Amino acid sequence: MWIEENDMKTLNRRQFVSSSFGAAATLALGGPRRTHAASNSSGRSQPEHDKVIIGVMGLGGRGTFLAESFAKRGDAEVAYLCDPNTRRFGRARGAVQEVQDRRPKMVQDFREILDDKDVDVLINATPDHWHALGTIMACQAGKDVFVEKPMAHNIWEGRKMVEAARKYKRVVQVGMQSRSAPYVAKAKEYIQSGKLGEIYIARVFNMMKHPMQRQVPDQPVPEGFDYDMWCGPAPKLPYNPSRRWLNQWEYSCGPIAGDAIHQLDLARYLFDDIPHPKTVCQVGAVNALRDGRQTPDTQLAIFEYDRLSLMFESSLWTPYMKKTPGSVRDSDRFPNWPFSSTKVEVLGTEGFMYFGRHGGGWQAYDAQGELVHSEYGRQGDKEHQDNFLDCIRTRKKPNADVQIGHHSVLLCHMANIAYRVGNRRLELDAETESFTDSEQANQYWKREYREPWVIPEKV
Amino acid sequence: MPNNCIAKKVQPGVSIRILLALSVILSYYHCCYGRWLQISDVKVSQQPTELAGPKTIIEYDLNDPNISAASPAYVFVRYSTDFGENWQLLPMDSLGGNGFDIVDRSGHKMIVWWGTGETSFSDLVQVELRVRAVQMVRVPGGEFIRKALPGAGRDESRDMETEPRSELPLFYIAKYETTISMYTDYLNEVGGEGAGWHPRMSRAERCGIIQHSNHTYSVKEGRGNYPVTYVSWYDARSFSRWCGLRLPTEAEWEKAFRGGIYLDGDATKKHPNPNPDRRYPWGDEAPDVNGVYRCNYDGEQDGFAYTAPVGSFAEYNSPYDVCDMAGNVGEWTLDWYSTSYHVGLDGFRVVRGGSWMAVPAGCDAITAATQFPLKESSIMGFRVVRQLAHGPKTIR
Repeated sequence: MWIEENDMKTLNRRQFVSSSFGAAATLALGGPRRTHAASNSSGRSQPEHDKVIIGVMGLGGRGTFLAESFAKRGDAEVAYLCDPNTRRFGRARGAVQEVQDRRPKMVQDFREILDDKDVDVLINATPDHWHALGTIMACQAGKDVFVEKPMAHNIWEGRKMVEAARKYKRVVQVGMQSRSAPYVAKAKEYIQSGKLGEIYIARVFNMMKHPMQRQVPDQPVPEGFDYDMWCGPAPKLPYNPSRRWLNQWEYSCGPIAGDAIHQLDLARYLFDDIPHPKTVCQVGAVNALRDGRQTPDTQLAIFEYDRLSLMFESSLWTPYMKKTPGSVRDSDRFPNWPFSSTKVEVLGTEGFMYFGRHGGGWQAYDAQGELVHSEYGRQGDKEHQDNFLDCIRTRKKPNADVQIGHHSVLLCHMANIAYRVGNRRLELDAETESFTDSEQANQYWKREYREPWVIPEKV
Repeated sequence: MPNNCIAKKVQPGVSIRILLALSVILSYYHCCYGRWLQISDVKVSQQPTELAGPKTIIEYDLNDPNISAASPAYVFVRYSTDFGENWQLLPMDSLGGNGFDIVDRSGHKMIVWWGTGETSFSDLVQVELRVRAVQMVRVPGGEFIRKALPGAGRDESRDMETEPRSELPLFYIAKYETTISMYTDYLNEVGGEGAGWHPRMSRAERCGIIQHSNHTYSVKEGRGNYPVTYVSWYDARSFSRWCGLRLPTEAEWEKAFRGGIYLDGDATKKHPNPNPDRRYPWGDEAPDVNGVYRCNYDGEQDGFAYTAPVGSFAEYNSPYDVCDMAGNVGEWTLDWYSTSYHVGLDGFRVVRGGSWMAVPAGCDAITAATQFPLKESSIMGFRVVRQLAHGPKTIR
């Protein structure tokens, strides 16, 4: 098997230069060496550096942003930038080298990152189809992982990611950064305090205006692009740049899920990480964006819990529904709630809440519809990174731990699968996370993996 | 005192008031910044008209031997009526003569500025004028092979039944990337509160513009002919507008890179492009084939660790003789890139051509990077474009 299990590596204590993590973050310079932990582990020798060394896998917009963000912190250093497409190298390296002295090594194969004993962390910002295997391999190689959302392409591989993280005692943070924003915790506290009464309905919105894809014929792979590596575990479809990976089931959880995962996760968080729903009902279609895509542009789902109905409304053809600009989210202002495309609404017996993701803040209304509480928000990227790096030191579970990420993306999988089997109602078994009433649905529980990029049953 | 800039200044002691008098020669001095073209002997006078108030005559000499119909100058004038405190662009639609906008031969030039009576000055004593010229390249109207999908950096198949083509009218694109000298000249006029300047511009190896305590700017020695970097899309656009120009669209950029189907344009179709879908400006061979380095990309083997002075690889220009379209600095274009996540929001802009940090493949015709418009980086710069929106001007 080409994936070799490395000895588990333990990072019990790390030296950090800055105290950016808050309480108990800073150790004295020249502090203790790493020590060996449990008997089935082996530690690395003391690194000469005192920064967390990072390799970034996937240099699209998000990957480049994360690379730059971590590089400019001062307590982390980007040693590798990886993408199968060498054309992406310049932009990413340019961004990183503006904020750190070290020149990152540019590679097309992420295994070079995993093979480097000095690398502590893999940041996985690839398209969805590479999230699971990249994370699992990184765990096996003794790396902690920051993996972007949606965490996994299917239910089974999400379970495997959790398994790998736990087996190798790795810190795996999912890129659902609003979880770490302080205003979000306050919203949860408000709801949990009962000020809204009993909550029976929550509505999650994800409404956007996406462009049509312009269809052109398949074409040869451009030079400098390792398309085989890019496809990885997914089928190697003929190269066609007019078909965005985001709109293809082979590579994506869909454009709706890819963005809505934030709000779905936040809804779960507000309800204290509510466990699995019992059922999902789904209505969806491709209505407006008839450009050959497979993924729906309209998706309405209801997740049934014991006493809560979580309603999910999404579309890709609603121009009047706006994402909240960053200038609003990072200021003392609120979105225009009726036309906020990424909000969560919480309906209780005594009150109502508008909640905005990514710094949108929240506002609560009483039984008469009067505004009774407002809380401005700020984006949580920095806090999320702080939390991740802090957990590397303390070995605690991060705010968006892999298990949480799995449970949240499960909602996306349920809705997508219900769509793919004909817009039907499905019942979920919480233990196996499979469907009790549809073998057709269970065909989507796991995918066929393309050799040699196969996630093993035993991670 | 900056050398090489074109300006007209009132000479101390010259106190002639020009009312309806004949021409008066005011003092001037000769200079030009970096890649501004050589302009000298600027003279300004006023002449009466019968009914329209005085007209202002601006004369100068454009002596650059490189000016031709294929590679003309774009001449623009900025003026101040308050002793250099505030400046405006001379509106092209108020001008006559043979010395403004696209000028395709050297020699003595004249600009007639009609409607001077409508401006706020009654005589020329308080007026300062600066005549500047950018070397452009003429891109004739016609079809070209447009292979990159907007913002996607992707190619279209050579195996398609019909080659993808687009068509553009005549336009002019700057021969060179905007240089540090040119941009510093701009900053000294508009950068009074630090606008358009980024602290990293002072880094000599990656830019080289020094900001002084009085918000004036100077160029670090030896850096004037390097491409300006650390400019956001907004900075690039501001400079372009300051010249009376704009950024190129992706389509214009790509046509300038590859050349049209016919290099002389569709109106005549006498000179077919031998390689209209070329990968690089010089052809299809990679930048480093046979140990010959054809552009400035990642590494020092091409002779440059960072940016190179504009025109350093003139042997490998585009079919229209545009310099440095591959490598050196990535070039901002006018185009937005509407991603799925950013439609209707602020969005990205598209940067083309790769840079000194790119791999060879990343400097080719189809590579497109998307950047937030506020991004300032040592790998991004720009060049300007002039599109002929109206018919040819007439000489009055």
